[in-house]
This record gives sequence, structure tokens and C-alpha cells, in this order.
Amino acid sequence: MTNYLDLSIAELHQLLKAKTIKPLDLVLEALKRIEENDLNAFITLDKEGAIAEAKALETEEVDNLLYGLPIAIKDNIVTNGMRTTCASKMLEDFVPVYDATVVEKLRKKHAIIIGKTNMDEFAMGSTGETSYFKAAVNPWNPDKVTGGSSSGSAAAVSGRLCAFALGSDTGGSIRQPASFCGLVGLKPTYGRVSRYGLLAFASSLDQIGPMTKTVADNAHVLAAIAGRDESDLTSGHQPVDNYTEYLGKDPKGMRIAVPRYYMSETIHHEVREAVEDVMKLLCDRGVTVDYVDIPYMEYAIPLYQVIALGEASSNLARYDGLRYGHLTKDYHDIESLYKKTRAEGFGHEVKRRIMIGSYVLSGKNADIYYTKALKVRKALTEHFQKILADYDLIIGPTNTNVAYNVGTKMDDALKSFYDDILTIPVNMAGLPGMSLPIGFNHEALPIGMHIIGNYYEEGKMYQLASYIEQALQLDTNPRGRKSC
Amino acid sequence: MLVPTIGIEVHVELKSKTKVYSDSLNAFTPEANKNITLIDFGYPGTLPVLNREVIDMALKASLALNCHINQVMHWDRKNYFYPDLPKGYQITQQDTPIGYDGYIEIDVDGHKKKIGIERVHIEEDTCKSIHADTGTKLNFNRAGVPLIEIVSKPDIASGEEAMAYVETLRSILLYLGISDVKIEEGSMRCDTNVSLKEADSDILGTKCEIKNIGSISNVKHSIDFEIKRQQALLEQGKSIVEETRRFDDKTGKTVLMRVKETGNDYRYFPEPDIPYVILTKEEIADAKAALPVLPTVLKDKYRMAGINDIAIKTILANPELCHFLEELFTTTNPVISANLLTGDVMSYLNKEKVMLQDTKLTVKNFHDLVVVLEKKEVSSKQGKEILEVLLQQDIPVEKIMSDRGMVQISDEDTLKAMITEVLTANPDSITDFKAGKDRAVKFLMGQIMKASKGQANPMMVNKLLIEQLNRY
Repeated sequence: MTNYLDLSIAELHQLLKAKTIKPLDLVLEALKRIEENDLNAFITLDKEGAIAEAKALETEEVDNLLYGLPIAIKDNIVTNGMRTTCASKMLEDFVPVYDATVVEKLRKKHAIIIGKTNMDEFAMGSTGETSYFKAAVNPWNPDKVTGGSSSGSAAAVSGRLCAFALGSDTGGSIRQPASFCGLVGLKPTYGRVSRYGLLAFASSLDQIGPMTKTVADNAHVLAAIAGRDESDLTSGHQPVDNYTEYLGKDPKGMRIAVPRYYMSETIHHEVREAVEDVMKLLCDRGVTVDYVDIPYMEYAIPLYQVIALGEASSNLARYDGLRYGHLTKDYHDIESLYKKTRAEGFGHEVKRRIMIGSYVLSGKNADIYYTKALKVRKALTEHFQKILADYDLIIGPTNTNVAYNVGTKMDDALKSFYDDILTIPVNMAGLPGMSLPIGFNHEALPIGMHIIGNYYEEGKMYQLASYIEQALQLDTNPRGRKSC
Repeated sequence: MLVPTIGIEVHVELKSKTKVYSDSLNAFTPEANKNITLIDFGYPGTLPVLNREVIDMALKASLALNCHINQVMHWDRKNYFYPDLPKGYQITQQDTPIGYDGYIEIDVDGHKKKIGIERVHIEEDTCKSIHADTGTKLNFNRAGVPLIEIVSKPDIASGEEAMAYVETLRSILLYLGISDVKIEEGSMRCDTNVSLKEADSDILGTKCEIKNIGSISNVKHSIDFEIKRQQALLEQGKSIVEETRRFDDKTGKTVLMRVKETGNDYRYFPEPDIPYVILTKEEIADAKAALPVLPTVLKDKYRMAGINDIAIKTILANPELCHFLEELFTTTNPVISANLLTGDVMSYLNKEKVMLQDTKLTVKNFHDLVVVLEKKEVSSKQGKEILEVLLQQDIPVEKIMSDRGMVQISDEDTLKAMITEVLTANPDSITDFKAGKDRAVKFLMGQIMKASKGQANPMMVNKLLIEQLNRY
């Protein structure tokens, strides 16, 4: 029995490079763990493909950090020839004919995609429970939700079923499950990573990002997937930073802001205390930590409902059964075809969100809600920019609490949005945000800290995060450190 | 009295190399679903990539239509469900059309009138639905073909004005080289809105939209019919129902397609996948400076030069002839040039079914021909003969003339000698002339031309002959 997948990317790379292990050893370990641990992390597994690829790589030179690593991709990112479902009945049998830009980049590095991870249907949810393929399981405690929508990616990395995974984040979908599962999860700057091949939920907010065991792992993956893509006009032209240079760099002299909103009574005291401990740690290191106010943060939920759901209602219009995806068997004209196909193909939460989104864009509502929301979004962004002109980074908790019990929020449409009150503002402003494990609560559930940076300054975030990670020395492996 | 108010929406397909939001070819192909990419198909995960050439073309059109330019533009999504709309939304420009508040000048029977342009915006075409017995088929070749929509202000007052507006618009766009603007082939599509109101009232009547107008002359016919139809209804005390009608070419009537549903809800919002496009003042000024001379301007210029209206119309409808004429305009007699181009050259092109650039005719040779014609060094009949050669072979005019002995005799003394000779040989004709018989001149002319082997300058001969006859 081997435990290679408990190791970091750099450690695995050393072993591969030294030929101590082969990519096949990692793939077989991954497949074995997936079989033994019923986390329901994957919707589709490509056992044969992964094994074949691992074997093919044995004769090649190990030329980069991601070479030969078994990895997982969230199931809303298209993979050529590998089913991509968005955890929806609508796309249950959808096999894309192209690779997303991020997938293409990872394949070029010879990372091995072992499968597609579970998620909330069309990334709509905060628990993983809206998946058509049932919820993924939190490796720390099966009674607790994984968080979402990148539930399967979080479970797969936390359960050490793969080297790392990609998630996507529209309002917190990488950071919240990363926080609930004790991972490092990054939503990069809007535009840092190409969205080409990501099945759109809310185009002006969506961003693909790495979910990893460590800060260094995260930096390695971001370096591999970031960059301008001519297929995505919203991707940025800024050159990709050398993120590894920031790792381990002394944070002394950095200026950090903590929004009071992030430390209010709404936040569970255990979470707040964990963040305060880190603040103290940083102060001791010569980092300036100030409380600040960022107006409009409290409008995160209504902003999200109007902008994200408005865009979603349009983005999901293409799933009409005519070209791909589910098509109803029972229709007599084009209208009944549309209605039945979509009624059958979409789950409850998706339908609810399409309805809200259609409503806020309808007729006069567009002015009352949408145009106004854009104004508030702009104001919020400007306030963030003001703070980030004075400070290097903003920190706070990722969530109001740790992972909660399965089934508690399914029946309340608003409650599940409230999970994201601290993360949504970051998407609205297009800033990069990270969740970093900083401790555990009394039930031994991970607590996540939120680090927000300025545009394209992921490097500074890694600098701070790597320092904290080093200082805290947490064991974030829920499997426990068994023999390697 | 009831007067019509007419507004026209024109969709024009731009002939950019590739489609507006993808890099598939923008070209006609008989093979269905050939020029398509995943983007045109609305495939999950794909994103639009804006084609800069389309912006440049739309900018040209907007400037040529005297529009103001939105320097900061974004795109919008127009959401609705229809099988020919792959994404479930059309990417268009709702809030910030590239051009707005422009005008063009039309000319109806020498009467000039400005017709306002409300807006010019960029959007994408849909798929083509083909309805068969076995069901509806979709051809995605047309999906994503770039369109500009040109919306007029309701300044048009008759079918005739409407036709002049569409014709003028067409010739401008043709000159810009941005579209084939063939209404018969669908690269230009006109929808007209017609309503009637009391002449002294500011309140507009209920309008009907007419679609499916398949030719420029049908713009007039359909509007004329629609005006009469609405007039008859109103005179009977009935009211007009807001509806969409189509023009039936066979019956010459407009027929009901559908009654307009009130408040179509397209849920417009800014397209998040396409960043704002900013046009600098310099870019706009450069585009303006690079505009070709427009047909409306050329028309006035040609009139001033004395070219007749029919020839002007032919030239303006055929940019290749016009470009040719423009190259010669200052160096030769424009009237002779225009007449040759619209007469013999056009009929040759029509007969051979070729384009001017497919012939061997060069500007230099054509220029020389016009010069010898103007100097009357050759007769018009000889001119035709030379032109026929020039269309097929690049041979200097001089050489054709000498090869064929086409030198025209214009020397007065030589001609006078010829005339004297012929008169001496035909004394009866002199008698006839004196008796007032005009036929005598014709006969004598014929004899002189014959004697000169057709080389005598006929106009000079005519003049000199009459002078000499009068002396008897």
C-alpha cells in the first residue's frame, strides 16, 4: 500500500524525476483510493485512458513539475472525448469534441486527467447537493457537506485521490469548498485564466482556478494554466508572474487590511478567533494589519442574484435539445419541445435560478434591478480599489462557519447564498481571492482564511499564504499521516 | 387628408473574410453546414471572438451615412428562443450602436431630400431554416455572418422616396466595397414600417411592418399597396391593427404574417464575453479620410460635366465602370467617356457576361480612343471598331488606326479639293440643291466619303460642302 498522493507536487516530481516511481504508480494509487473511498467525488472516471497515458509517459522525459501527475477536472470544463455533464441530466451524455484551454495546457504538461469531478448542477449551489449524480462526501466528516459548487474537486484533493484539481468560482465555488475541506483554493483575477471551454454560468464572474493541498502546489498549477488566450477576449494580456519566487518570501513590511464586515457577529466565533490568531502572528512578524471599512459589501447577495442569475438565464438558453444534450421524447411543436426538454433536463435549483434571472432582466426590471446592480458593482469595485491602493492584501475568514450538516440548506433558497456573503464581493470586483486552511474547530473541521489581492497580484497572495502555512504547520490530510 | 409615414430597417450582410464572432469563412457555399465552427454552433464553453474587420466596415458605413460614432461601444445580448438562434441569444448592439443620428440625401425627379438615419449597429445573422416535409432543417453557414442594421428615421413620405432611399443606400454601400448589397440574394434585406396620419396632426397612426421585399422596385410597390390598403380601411371607418405583413410578388399585395405581440421581451443586457471596444478620434478621422468619393457626390459632379442622367444612373450602379471613369475624368472628355462606357462597353460586357476587369481594356488605351474621337480623327463608327479590338487585345490605338487605314482626313485644303472634284462630276446635284432638294446634300456627302474611302472627316465635309454649294 502506497501513499504517494499524500505528497506535494514538488515531492512527487522529485520521485518521478529520480525514477523512484512512475506515473503509472500514481494513477493506480489514485484509482485504488477512489475505489476504496466512497466520496462520490467523480462523475466520470477514465481508468483505461489514464492508465494508457501513464504507460505512454514512461518513455518520455520528466520535463516539468506537473508531468505524470494524476489530476481531476471539474465537470463544467470541457474535455475532448471525455463526458462533461455539469452534473446535470441535461448533459448526462454530452461528450465534447474539444479541450478547454486550461485542459489543453495541462495536457501539454503531460498531467494525466483521471476523471471529471462532481459539482452542484451547472455550478449552482454551495453544498454539492444539487448534483444530478448525488452529493460528494466531505473526507473530514461524511455528515458534513463538502461545500460547493466545486464539491467533487474539493473531495478529491482533500481525500488525496489525485495530485490536484481544477475548480471554477462564480461566487465562492472554489474558496468555500476549499475552506470546508481544508484545501488551498484560488479564484484568480478575472481574466488571469482563460474561460474558453468552461460551461458558462455567469460570464462576468466565472473564473477557473486550482484546488490544491499546499500553497506551493497552488502556485505551480496557476503558473501552468494562466495567461492570455485569444479565444477568450476577457483574458488579460499581463505576463504571467513567476509565482514560485514569492513562496517563502518574508511578509515583513506588508500592509494588510481586515474589513470590519468580515469580522462581525455573523461570523462564528471559532472562525473569527482563528483569523485573529493569524492577524496576531502577522503583526508579530512586522506586518501592518489594520481594520478598514469597505462599503457595499453587504449587498453581495442581491448583487449576485441579479447579475449572476441574469447572466445564467441567458447562458443556459442554449440547452434546448436541438444540437446537444437532453431532448424530450414527447413533443408536438417547437414550444413543447423547449418546455419539456428544459423541464426534464434541468434540476430544481437550476430552474429556480433561471426563473429569477429571467425575471430581473425582463422588461422594466432590467432598469430597476440589472442596471442598478451594475452601478452598485462598480461602486463596490472602486471601494476595493481604494483599499488596495493603500494595502497589499485584504484578509478575513472565507466563510461564516465551518462545514455544516448535509441536508440543512437544501430547502432554503436564500440560505445557501448566505454561504457566499464573504466570497461574492471578490467576484464582483474581479479580484483574486484565496482560501487557506488556518486551523480546526472543536469538531476538527477545517477553518479557512480568505486572502484577497489586487488585480494580477496573485504572487503577493502566495507570499503571505506560504508564510502562514509555514508558521502554522497544520496537518490538512484528513486521512491522517499514515505510513508512506 | 391622410399622409403616409414610412421608416425602413435595412439589414446588410458584410463581406468580411470571416464571420463576426468566429473565424469560419464568411462565404457562400452550396454545401450546407460547411462554413461553421463550434462557436457558430453555440457549442458549450465556446466564446465569441470579435472580428476587427467587421468593426472597420461598419465604421465606414456609419461615416458614409453621416452618422455620429459611439467611441465607446459594447455589445448586448438579445435573448429569445428560436431554432435558428443557436445560443438562445443574438449578440447585437442595443445600447451603443456604432453609428447614430446620420442622414443621406435622396433625389426624386431632381428634388433633393434628406432622410435621417437613426442608427447603424453590428449584429450576427441566424441560421437558415429550411422547411421540408420531413421537418425543419437548419443550415448554420449563415449563423454568425456579420450584419449591419441601418434604421432610418420615419422621414420617408412615399413609395417612390422609399425606393430612392434604398437605391441610394445601396449605391453608397456598394461604393464602400463592404457588401454585395444584392436584395435578390438576401445580402440586403428591407423591412418597412408604414402608417398613415392626418396631414395636420402630429399623432402617428398605427403602423404595419412589411417583410419579404425581394427587389428594390418592390419596395415601392409594396408600400404603394400598403398605403392604399390602410387608406381604404380608414375610409371605411375601420382601424389599423398593428401587424407584420409580407409582400407577395405574384399578386402585388401585402398579406398578413402575424399580428404583433405587444412588448416583445428580449431581456437585453451587456454581452459579458466581449470587452468594450474603444475607437479613438484618430481612428475615426483616418477612416473618414479614407472613404471613397460617394455616389451622391459623384452624381452631382457628373451632372455638372454634362453627362446625361441615364448614363449617370448606369455608371453609379456599376462601380467598376465608375472607377474606370474616375481615372479618366480629368484627362479626357467625360461625356464621350461616359457614353462609350455605358453604351458599347456595357453592351459588350452584357453580351459576353464578363466584368470590365476581365476584358483587356486599359485606361491608357481607352483614354487614347476618347482623344482621337474628340479630335474627330476617327469617325464614331471607327471608334466602335477600335473599342471592339481594345476590349479583346491590348494594342495601342494608334496602331489599330494605322493597321486599318483609319486616318481621318481633316485637312481643309485636301477636303476642299475632294469636294470640288465630286461637284464637277455631278452638276445635276448642284441644280437639285439650288431647287431646294435636300437629298442632293446627302448624295454628294456619300460620294465624297466614298471618294475618300471613308477617311474624310464627315462633319468638316458637311460644313465645307454646304459652303461651296452656296457659292454657286
